[in-house]
Amino acid sequence: MKDIVRQKIGINVDVMDLLNEQIAKEAHSAAAYLAMASWCDHNGLVYSADFFYKQSNEEREHMLKIFKFINENGGTAYSPEVSNINHEFNSLQEIFETALDQEIQISKSIHNIVTKCRKVMDYGTENFLQWFIQEQMEEENQFRRILEMFDLMGTDGLALKLIDERIKHGE
Amino acid sequence: MNLLYKTYYYSSYQCDQGRCFYVDFGHKRVKLSFCQLLALRQKVHNIDISSHFDKDLNYSGIEILTLCNREHLFVFDTLQIIDLKQLLKATFGILELNSLVVP
Ligand SMILES: [Fe+2]
Ligand SMILES: [Fe+2]
Repeated sequence: MKDIVRQKIGINVDVMDLLNEQIAKEAHSAAAYLAMASWCDHNGLVYSADFFYKQSNEEREHMLKIFKFINENGGTAYSPEVSNINHEFNSLQEIFETALDQEIQISKSIHNIVTKCRKVMDYGTENFLQWFIQEQMEEENQFRRILEMFDLMGTDGLALKLIDERIKHGE
Repeated sequence: MNLLYKTYYYSSYQCDQGRCFYVDFGHKRVKLSFCQLLALRQKVHNIDISSHFDKDLNYSGIEILTLCNREHLFVFDTLQIIDLKQLLKATFGILELNSLVVP
C-alpha cells in the first residue's frame, strides 16, 4: 500500500493537531494583550497601552506563522475561537506578572510540541519551532526586566509614571 | 482498494490508483481526498460525546455532519458517533503504521 499520507502532508498529523492548539493559544495571547492595553489606556498609562497593542500584534503574527506553516505543508489550519479574556486587573504590576506567566505557559507549550516532534521524528517541524523557542526566551526576559523595575522603584503614583515612561524607551 | 479499518457500522479504504480515500457509511460510500479525510477527522474529534448524555446539552442525542464542503450531509446517533470516532482514530493509526513500513 502506498504512503499517500506522506505524499500529501510533510508534517506528522499528531504534531499538526498540537500546532493547531498552539494557533488557538497565540490567538488567546493576542486577545489577552489587547485587554491589557485597554486597561492601561483607561488608567492613563499610555506607553504601557502602546506596548501591549504591539505585543498583541506580535502574537497575531506568531499565530499566522504557524497557520501558514501547517497549510504550506499540506495540513489544515483551523481558525481559532477565542474566549475567556480577563479584563480585570488590580495594578500595572499584576498585568506584567500575568503577562510573564502567560509567556511561560506558551514556552512550555512550544517545548512540549518539540518533544513530540522528536518522538515521531518530525524534524521539519522541530526546525520550524526553533525560532519560537528563541522568541519565547526573549519575550520572557523582556517581562522579567520590566517586573524588576517594579521591585526597584515601587508601585506608587510617581514610580508608576516613571515606569510607564521607561516602557516607552525600552521598546 | 485497501481496507484500512472496519468498525460495526463503517469502514475506511485507501485507493492507491486514485490517491484518495473512501469511507463506507453503509448506505453510501464517500470518496475523500486526504484534506477531506483530515476535515472529517477534525469534525468527529470535536464532537463532545458526553453532551449526548445530558438532556440540556443535546436533547435528541444526534449529530449532523456535513462533508466535503457540504456536498454530503449525515445524521448520526450516539452509537454511530462512538463508532465513527473509533473508525477515524484507528484509520489514522493504520495510516501511521503504514508510513513506518513503506521504505
Ligand atoms: Fe507568541
Ligand atoms: Fe509572546
